[in-house]
Amino acid sequence: MTDITALPGGKSPWQSAARFGLYALLIIFAAYYILPLIVVLSTSMKDLDEIRNGTLLSLPAEINFEAWGYAWNEACIGVSCTGLKPYFWNSVAMTIPAVTISTLLGALTGFSLTKFKFKGANLIFAMILFGCFIPFQVVLLPMAQSLGFLGVANTVPGLVLVHIVYGLPFTVLFFRNYYVNIPDDLIKAATIDGAGFFMIFWRIMLPLSPPIIVVTVIWQFTQIWNDFLFGASFTTGGGQPVTVALNNLVNTTTGVKRYNVDMAAALITAAPTLAVYVLAGRYFVRGLTAGSVKG
Amino acid sequence: MASLSIQNVKKSYGSVEVLKGIDLDLENGEFLVLLGPSGCGKSTLLNMIAGLDTITAGEILIDQTVVNDVHPKDRDIAMVFQSYALYPNMSVARNIGFGLEMRKVNKEERERRVDEAARMLQIDHLSDRKPAQLSGGQRQRVAMGRALVRDPEIFLFDEPLSNLDAKLRVEMRTEIKKLHQRLGTTMVYVTHDQIEAMTLASRIAILKEGEVQQFASPQEVYEKPANMYVAGFVGSPPMNFVPAAVVNENGKLGVSIERTANGTRGSVFLALPEDRQGISEWVGRDVILGIRPETLTHRSDSEMSINNRLQAFDCQVEVLEPTGADTLTYIELGGREVIARVNPYNTTEPGETMAFMVDMGKASLFDPKTELRI
Repeated sequence: MTDITALPGGKSPWQSAARFGLYALLIIFAAYYILPLIVVLSTSMKDLDEIRNGTLLSLPAEINFEAWGYAWNEACIGVSCTGLKPYFWNSVAMTIPAVTISTLLGALTGFSLTKFKFKGANLIFAMILFGCFIPFQVVLLPMAQSLGFLGVANTVPGLVLVHIVYGLPFTVLFFRNYYVNIPDDLIKAATIDGAGFFMIFWRIMLPLSPPIIVVTVIWQFTQIWNDFLFGASFTTGGGQPVTVALNNLVNTTTGVKRYNVDMAAALITAAPTLAVYVLAGRYFVRGLTAGSVKG
Repeated sequence: MASLSIQNVKKSYGSVEVLKGIDLDLENGEFLVLLGPSGCGKSTLLNMIAGLDTITAGEILIDQTVVNDVHPKDRDIAMVFQSYALYPNMSVARNIGFGLEMRKVNKEERERRVDEAARMLQIDHLSDRKPAQLSGGQRQRVAMGRALVRDPEIFLFDEPLSNLDAKLRVEMRTEIKKLHQRLGTTMVYVTHDQIEAMTLASRIAILKEGEVQQFASPQEVYEKPANMYVAGFVGSPPMNFVPAAVVNENGKLGVSIERTANGTRGSVFLALPEDRQGISEWVGRDVILGIRPETLTHRSDSEMSINNRLQAFDCQVEVLEPTGADTLTYIELGGREVIARVNPYNTTEPGETMAFMVDMGKASLFDPKTELRI
């Protein structure tokens, strides 16, 4: 690709000034966005005295992870003082199966909607797509009834089910649009070679899918881990996910307000999504733009 | 090896009729080329033979067995695609062996046959590469290897050479011809390239708008095209079409053509040979005379004295296009531009009049209304 800044005749004083202004603006914006993270991080490492006496922006006198341990093991969530730990594992137990199953089902559905086209496939896709535009709040009541009917209300498996159902329109959309660009001849060749529906899916389509799998997993993981509404609506007490527990921890009205514990708890809650982005983020952009230019 | 019979096969998508009753019969070991422009239904027909598309009406028989409702994998056919359709995630060896793997052939047998096919196509040194690491020609060979290794009853080729550059295309064409000669397997080959069709086929079926225009050997298609469409499609440069009138001159039937020579416009009489004299009902009516460029050339008196099918006329030259071996000479006959293939040393400057002779034994006559051969 041509580097358009390195073209001949592109170095006038005006352009240098413009470049300076551009970088200045970018630095201001970067600082604006990074500052809250610095405050949260530094506050989580201070003790309560330091928070009371110091300023918001001052850095901690020493690195101190006491608040992190307290948030993880001892903090009171409502009336039970167990820390975030059990709720964190609730979230893990909810997110991993929900992400895995919705991604796999999305891949299978996307595959059959594009490569084993049946009459009305496009209509069904349009209807599934419609699911992307339904706000969470609309499905709350019918979903609560369904969960009760199925006997999984107030359980982690119940939440898993909700997230799979709500996530499917997105995963189907991702996989369908990815698979539509894979040539039909591949499927024809495999059919003549003697492979059936699942064999083609397993041996040919899935090995071609890593970019879109990464996109789907990041998307679903972020959506499900960060979900608050479903967790708050469908669970109480010990079955709650970590986001709800965090809210209960921070909004508690009894005792001293421990800002350092609140900050540590918020960071613990956000850590998994952050980790997923750091580990797979570069595939995310690559996958989203896959197929947009002919490779 | 197997015979293939296509009986009154039709295909419709909704109200659109893509194939309007195709009848083709193929002997064991024949090489059939389906030739036609894009959208004529030739690829659809091939997909139907493969079983990748359903048949609206009619029957397809492989070795006298109706296969309309037989799954592609059970038809004992192998197909080579225009896009090669190699599995991107598998090595060359796995690509070739995938069909055997699906048919549960044991590992040693599989490796032996993959190796054999790879060596036959000279790609055995590429076994561990992925398709993305191969050139176009190598990919084409792998695609052929995948078909070859299964030792099928019928090979199907869907425009296999159209993604290759010109030089490689000619090489691979010869390769396919050699393969057919060596294996003797029945092959069906779809192309829009008339040279591929002429060079490869034992018989050509020319399709237009879902109908077979002619089904015959390449030589017959070339020399006796069934209609003006076939005549214009096969051959390069294409056949010349000249409006003419059938006349009787001194007891001999022939055609009369308008042309300009030495600055004056007039008609010239070209007699038809003895075996073409039976068209007396056409006397006084207009026809289209079809002349291949190579049967129209500069006059040679010595040749004319030994071949009485050659007829002479003079005509003004308009444009010269040297190609090296021959010079394409453009003249005007009956108001149409006509190309003659002339030896470069016998040409005349544009604007001057030159002596030509035409082999009327190789000329075709067409009905201007139906465009069918007379």
